[in-house]
Amino acid sequence: MPSPNEIKKGTVIKYEGNLWVVTDFQRVSPGKGSSFVRTRMKNISTGKVNEYNFKSAENMTFEDVQNKKMQYLYTDGTQFTFMDTVSYEQVPISADMLGDDVKYLKEGLEVAVVMHDGLALGIQLPRKIQYKVMYTEPAVKGDTASGNITKEVELDNGLTVRAPAFINQGDEIMINSENGEYVERISR
Amino acid sequence: MREIHQIIKERQIINETIRSFFRSRGYLEVETPLVVRSPGMEPNLVPFETVVIEPNGKRYSAGLITSPEYSMKKLLGLGEEKIFTITKVFRNEEEFGGRHNPEFSMLEWYQQGADYQACMNETEALVQELATIFGCTWPIFQRLRVQELFLQKIGIDLDVADYSLLKHTCEVNGMHTDETDTESDLFYRLFLEKIEPFFEKDPLFVYDYPKHQAALSQMTSDGRYGQRFELYLNGIELCNGFTELTDAEEQLQRFEEEARERKNLKKTVFPIDETLLRLLPSLKNPSFGNALGIDRLHMVLTNTSSIEDVLLFPISQLYP
Repeated sequence: MPSPNEIKKGTVIKYEGNLWVVTDFQRVSPGKGSSFVRTRMKNISTGKVNEYNFKSAENMTFEDVQNKKMQYLYTDGTQFTFMDTVSYEQVPISADMLGDDVKYLKEGLEVAVVMHDGLALGIQLPRKIQYKVMYTEPAVKGDTASGNITKEVELDNGLTVRAPAFINQGDEIMINSENGEYVERISR
Repeated sequence: MREIHQIIKERQIINETIRSFFRSRGYLEVETPLVVRSPGMEPNLVPFETVVIEPNGKRYSAGLITSPEYSMKKLLGLGEEKIFTITKVFRNEEEFGGRHNPEFSMLEWYQQGADYQACMNETEALVQELATIFGCTWPIFQRLRVQELFLQKIGIDLDVADYSLLKHTCEVNGMHTDETDTESDLFYRLFLEKIEPFFEKDPLFVYDYPKHQAALSQMTSDGRYGQRFELYLNGIELCNGFTELTDAEEQLQRFEEEARERKNLKKTVFPIDETLLRLLPSLKNPSFGNALGIDRLHMVLTNTSSIEDVLLFPISQLYP
């Protein structure tokens, strides 16, 4: 039997007769006693999101899922379409199912689409994604030296994040898709 | 992403302040081993395991410490009255990032002849001193017993709550439970869902944990609770302190219990530290000890939300 310790984003769990896909999880340990996995998951048939805490020692039923490498193509606002780069097969996933991942998508981005029974349930983003800075205010003189100063930068997919003051328009930067934080500048 | 040089400077100030704080209060700084035979028995921890090899090829199984606690208590048993250490500790199977990193910095300090209330006072004084330096303004630290928290937030009285009441409370709140749940698990499910998420940003000491969460602490006079406390700041758990258990027999029982739990969880069972058991009765009663995560303290002082903001080489960079 798999243990809740093996829960990942995209894991599909059979729980109380329903299928749920894990959208977020966090391990927690009390000072004493069993550790737990705080799990946010979405009901595949109703789209309802619930949070459950599973004890590491519990028995769980995981459903078989396949991760398929696909490219993000476009959205009509409610559906997001991905394409298998080998077979050219296209699959739509609803914004509901993607949740927070939506804001990191950009045309052509390669992701792992989580498939279950021929149905696309969600995606796994690369941990770091490269974007181009489309707009940012120039750094105020003196700010770059003091180190800790950040400013807003707008990226080529419309996402706005905070980055160090030395970042300029046109720079390519890496963003952590787990927390939206700046990672590094790609040297030109 | 914060600038490396800034993190270095901040950490230097934190460590220097900690050192001068404890020296001025008559503590001695000590160094304790990282590679040991008994790295920790807590069932939920996974120590890094290794082997010590003599030149002649003789091998000894070993682990990296999950806390310097055993060594610190041995020093107390050998007659040291007030000691502190700043050390690396190691815990495997922890998350990469967030509030966790498999190796992290720990401040531990111990004093003989004083209890956990005195330790809370000292913790507050240390954190406030650092807050002043970093320009944080925090109110007086609130102190709440776990029993008061449960009464306030869930309406159940832990003085009388038993397994079935805890289970019932989980069920009426629509919470998930499992047939293997112990009283301790049910308690923690409620704590995790109904208590902890509602902590404010202001500093809060939570103290007197139920018996099953007592760990290495001494019991309260009514025998119901362990004299253990944790400090929460910005909702982050910063430390875990006790009036230390000095009864070697009780300690041995708890070690044996933990060894059984580890065996059930199919985790490595490390040998019980006999030297610690031998020295434990020499400790004065009461004696307190506290373990405080320096990286988390650094996060709170700089109002950052990820441990990666205060580490020079977080694990996610070493294993991208």
